[in-house]
Amino acid sequence: MNNTKYVWLIGLVVTLAIVIVPIVIFGPRAEAKRDNPQAHLPQPMNHTDHTALMTGPYETGADVTKACMDCHPEAGEQVIHTAHWTWESEPIYDPDRQEFVTTGKKNSINNFCIGVQGNWPACTSCHVGYGWMDENFDFSNEETVDCLVCHDTSGMYVKSEGGLPAEGVDLAAAAQSVGSPTRENCGSCHFRGGGGDAVKHGDLDESLYFPTARIDVHMGEYDFQCITCHRTENHNIKGRAISVSVDNKNQVYCTDCHNETPHNDERLNGHTTSVACTACHIPTVAKKSATKIHWDWSTAGAEDLEDNAHSYLKIKGTFTYKKELEPEYYWFNRTADRYMLGDEINPSESTPMNKPKGDINDSTAKIWPFKVHRASQIYDTGYNYFIQPKTVGEGGYWTEFDWDQAARLGSEATGLPYSGSYSFANSEMYWPLAHMVSPKNDTLQCVDCHSESGRMDWIALGYEGDPVKVGGRKIDTTSQAMSQEGDQ
Amino acid sequence: MQALIIALAGSVNRRTWRGTAASLYTRHALRTTGIVALALLIALMGTVSISIAQEPSLHPTFPLLDEYGSNVLDSGNPVSTMKTCGKCHDTDYIESHSYHASLGMDQFTEAGNVPNGRAWEQSPGSFGKWNPLIYRYLTPKGDELLDLGTPGWVQSVGFRHVGGGPAMTTPEGQYLPSVTPQKDDPATLYMSPASGEAILWNWQKSGVVEMNCFLCHIPNPNNQARKNELEAGNFKWANTATLFGTGIVNKSFPGYDWNLEAFTDKGELARPYITLQDPDNQNCGLCHGEVHTANNTPFVRAGCDWNTATTGEIISPQRLFRTGMNLQDKESLSRAWDIHAERVVDCVDCHPSTNNPVYFEGSKDQSLSHLIFDARRIDIVDYLHQPSHDFAKGQSAQSTIAPDYNGTMRRCEGCHDPNAVHDWLPYKEAHFNAVSCETCHIPKMYGPAFRQVDWTVVNLDGSFQNECRGAEGDPSEVTTLITGYNPVLFPQNRLEGNTPLAPFNLVSSWYWIQGDPPRPVRQFDLKAAYLDGDNYRADILAAFDSNGDGQLDDAELRIDDQAKENLVKGNLEALGLENPRIVAEIQPYSINHNVTNGEWATRECAECHSSQSRAAEAMLLATYLPGDVSPQFFGDEKIAHAGEFKTNETGGLSYHPDVAKEGLYIFGYSSVGWIDWLGILAFLGTMLGVIAHGGIRVYTAIKMPQHHEHKYKRVYMYTIYERLWHWIQAIVILLLIFTGLIIHKPDMFGIFDFKYSVQVHNVLGFILFADALFSAFYHLASGEIKQYLPQPSGFFHNMIEQATFYVKGIFTDEEHPFEKTPQHKLNPMQQLTYFSILNVLLPLQVVSGITIWGMQKWSHLAQGLGGLPVLAPIHSLIAWLFASFIVLHIYLTTTGHTPLAGIQSMIDGWDEVEVHEHHAA
Repeated sequence: MNNTKYVWLIGLVVTLAIVIVPIVIFGPRAEAKRDNPQAHLPQPMNHTDHTALMTGPYETGADVTKACMDCHPEAGEQVIHTAHWTWESEPIYDPDRQEFVTTGKKNSINNFCIGVQGNWPACTSCHVGYGWMDENFDFSNEETVDCLVCHDTSGMYVKSEGGLPAEGVDLAAAAQSVGSPTRENCGSCHFRGGGGDAVKHGDLDESLYFPTARIDVHMGEYDFQCITCHRTENHNIKGRAISVSVDNKNQVYCTDCHNETPHNDERLNGHTTSVACTACHIPTVAKKSATKIHWDWSTAGAEDLEDNAHSYLKIKGTFTYKKELEPEYYWFNRTADRYMLGDEINPSESTPMNKPKGDINDSTAKIWPFKVHRASQIYDTGYNYFIQPKTVGEGGYWTEFDWDQAARLGSEATGLPYSGSYSFANSEMYWPLAHMVSPKNDTLQCVDCHSESGRMDWIALGYEGDPVKVGGRKIDTTSQAMSQEGDQ
Repeated sequence: MQALIIALAGSVNRRTWRGTAASLYTRHALRTTGIVALALLIALMGTVSISIAQEPSLHPTFPLLDEYGSNVLDSGNPVSTMKTCGKCHDTDYIESHSYHASLGMDQFTEAGNVPNGRAWEQSPGSFGKWNPLIYRYLTPKGDELLDLGTPGWVQSVGFRHVGGGPAMTTPEGQYLPSVTPQKDDPATLYMSPASGEAILWNWQKSGVVEMNCFLCHIPNPNNQARKNELEAGNFKWANTATLFGTGIVNKSFPGYDWNLEAFTDKGELARPYITLQDPDNQNCGLCHGEVHTANNTPFVRAGCDWNTATTGEIISPQRLFRTGMNLQDKESLSRAWDIHAERVVDCVDCHPSTNNPVYFEGSKDQSLSHLIFDARRIDIVDYLHQPSHDFAKGQSAQSTIAPDYNGTMRRCEGCHDPNAVHDWLPYKEAHFNAVSCETCHIPKMYGPAFRQVDWTVVNLDGSFQNECRGAEGDPSEVTTLITGYNPVLFPQNRLEGNTPLAPFNLVSSWYWIQGDPPRPVRQFDLKAAYLDGDNYRADILAAFDSNGDGQLDDAELRIDDQAKENLVKGNLEALGLENPRIVAEIQPYSINHNVTNGEWATRECAECHSSQSRAAEAMLLATYLPGDVSPQFFGDEKIAHAGEFKTNETGGLSYHPDVAKEGLYIFGYSSVGWIDWLGILAFLGTMLGVIAHGGIRVYTAIKMPQHHEHKYKRVYMYTIYERLWHWIQAIVILLLIFTGLIIHKPDMFGIFDFKYSVQVHNVLGFILFADALFSAFYHLASGEIKQYLPQPSGFFHNMIEQATFYVKGIFTDEEHPFEKTPQHKLNPMQQLTYFSILNVLLPLQVVSGITIWGMQKWSHLAQGLGGLPVLAPIHSLIAWLFASFIVLHIYLTTTGHTPLAGIQSMIDGWDEVEVHEHHAA
């Protein structure tokens, strides 16, 4: 009896062996693992229709906020700790200054409209709160958080001075429409940085409301919303721009969804330790609307020049705009220096506002594409630092066309002394590009960089010549992997 | 020494230029497409002519010298490149080591003596070789009629010749200006364009064309200005004209003035004007074809002319969908024209100087067997002094140009390791042996190339009738849809000894020849036979102008009946030509550029493994046959083509490759007709027999109810082992036949993917093989093997007894002649059948199957057995026999005491067998 069992068992094993062994030996090999970015996308939240919940009527924006917090009591607390509210960072240790600094829109200056201080009502129309009219705004009052600017989906909600709802906005309708933020919500401020469509970033403008795949493959072909990549938890939205932040925390990476080496081509994958994805995949920005690349404040105020939004405005000076802008390329480890109010400048040179850090020897740095905005802006010839003039409102330059008075009033707002004499000095501001990613067929090609007329200035980047001929940089990529929380 | 090193560094320092492509385009557009194209052109030039700031070259400064060695600033003479560059470089060495200069002159021979050449050819190179696309011939010495003498050759073809060689000396080596002009020496004769008479040429006045260093070594040589001087017979100024536009010279009469601002006080060329470099793609493109390097400017090409004439190759990094051409499915074509141009591999990177120490490898046959790489090479200083200007080259279809240098360049495999990236491809080795890299990696040509050249007629402007491939309609219109074309695939005899399939374009050409020994009818005479001033002759119009509009359009201007042929023939005879007749030939042109990477290469098995196999895809040669003359292959010694010409219903001619005659067997496409028919016959015959036999059994069973009482007993007939083996075999063989059918005829049975079916078939085959081995072991070890061995004594008698039972006894329900017992399961016929199946068919099938599978591991084994053309048909024939056997086998299981008893016993092992009283049980 026992014997029979064995016979069955052996027969079964041998039969299986006959079938399986040849399959294992001669069967097809599994295909290599492929990049499947879709698998990493966040799942959208279920939408709750708020029509019956938000009956209104609401007198002010704050009334809406109070109603929101009846059900979302934690939301206000969450928002007032975010940079969208504080407009400044946590203190960050700056090794060059050897001290902690807090930076942000609140206290920084740039080379567009210069700075917020003294110009609050106009600038703060993009603040995620209600009523920041002057330095006395109460940053601890949760009830002045503006829920609607991010959550309105009616498309009818508009902010005005100090961030207050514009005249005539139907607050109840907006409150009833609330939902997950769309490109329209984010774009209402971020696509119009610098005071108008496409002015500031180059890779963010109103063409992204209804983009084609060629303009942006993520938003155009796959209809990504901003928060698809800028993932948000407890109102803390991932993402950093070196125009205001200097550290590299809380970043968005291509590798959140894509493999580190996603190409089916060794040569291309070989680039990924030194070249950011964006460098090849964003061949141009400002694909549909021209972006501002130069701003000369010194010519403002001329009586005899005709106003034209893309070349000259009396209140702002002379501009250059560029469509289909080819980026400039620099090493970038995703941190940056920051020009702070009061820092001394050399007026005979162009002062970088936010120079990207990193060089060819920095294993954490990669070659990134940048829009560089160059400007000539007002500085104090006595103290040799940039002035933050008052432009908006009473006594401001945009009404009086008096630089001296604007500088004096600006000095009162910032507390930075003004010597009484001013002139104009050059500055440059770096905008790392990460949007307007092209479809994979429309990327840069080898010859776009590796040829005599190519885009890269190899010598300036620190190479001995075109790496095709002299070889790539010698870096320890293991330390790179370790030091980066994620890649590019 | 130091200076030389600096010079080398300078030569590496390459630059971009963008002028000449535009000016080439200008000529073309003006000629063909008129104002629309001109407007486009102006827009184009506006964007491309932005000059790039150039760094100064590291090449040392130097004075420009004339042919006497004097500074041109002093003499005002044309520059002599041989003297100027010869100050440091050995220009005599360079000129004598350059096929670009000699163009076959060193192989010059008497007309008709060129191996595999035409009767009027005098060399295998461009100087002396006939090219029907150009339709001018270098007239042999002693001919009465002169078409091209050396001066005419320089005038008309010289703009695609770098100078030196035949533009300086006679084939015998005499300096042309020192040759005494004579009426019978074509070296000193040219044809009067007015009278067609041969006239003496004054070489002393025209000067010669020295080898032109500037043409290849400065970034923006002016080939148009050079061409103008050549055509004007102003040879000595041709090289100087190349500099026109650089600021070094200004145009004057009769030549050029030297611009003093371009020179230093010492009389040397000033630093900013020294732009010497190693040749870039644009330099090569001046003569060799279409090059487009400005990646941001859409490439536009309307029409096919010599730039893309032979193959349609276009050297550009640009993605196809970014070009300005009206390409079919353009939006989806994101591949670059040429992957090497895209990846910054220039012409000279693959076609370097053959003594360039950076690239030079030495040819294989000179190296020692133990030596992979010879590190000893020419010193860099010596190289700069004497750089060979014979460049590494591959193997073209004709292999007559620079034959000594065939195969000197690295082919694909010289740089790429295909094994590293083709793991997805089943039967890698087999594919690599049978198919060249280009076959899959140049799947399609998108540039227009010639299909048909018709020189039997002549257009009003003296040009010829032609048709292009890859365009729907007139390709000279920018709006014409460019469809591209699939190259035809032929086995190419490679120097390496293999004959892989490789892609070609075929250009067919028709033209008149006359006399004996034959000569082409001169263009001059052809025009005289057709034209009368600016219009066609009245007799020609009367015969050809079928719609009577006084003009000849493309459809009318062709010799499509005997009357027209006779008319033209008569006109030619009236000019004194003897026996004019139309000949036609097909020239194959190998396609090696416009490579694309794996993403765009042919990957689908069905592209070749189906009835629509690319390997057998026909190529249209002509839409009409002038004079009803069928063309023959010419210059095809390297191509093992075999196939047939077919005429289509509209009178066109196409070529159909014959894969079998080319020695190939392609699964899914190839089959041997009689084998398949035999197999089908065996299968259907068995089917019919079984149906008939079964029918009679059923009939007799109904008609004559059972009248025999048989005794049965239950016997444990089949052990578990036997049953397992049996059923594994049964399932595996059925699946093998099923997947085999998919592989054999994917178009009929391809319900599963070809590649997948091949893999499953292979795995099943090994299961069957393993099963058979185990089974053999079991039967041997257990002694059961005896059951299969027919007993010799009385075998035939027993056979006949069993056969009689099947044809007679079975219908009358007689007893089976042989008792079935576990020790004697098989009757004599079964023994014979199984004996032959297990000893003949199965081993043959296993051996042929494993050998075919082994193509990927030990291809020489399969080759030794005759290769796929032998093995594959054997394999399919046996498969048919197996299929037939299965039908018979299943039917015979029903001949037990009940129809399902046999199958039942093979499942549970227990059989009820007749008890034969007369036999001891």
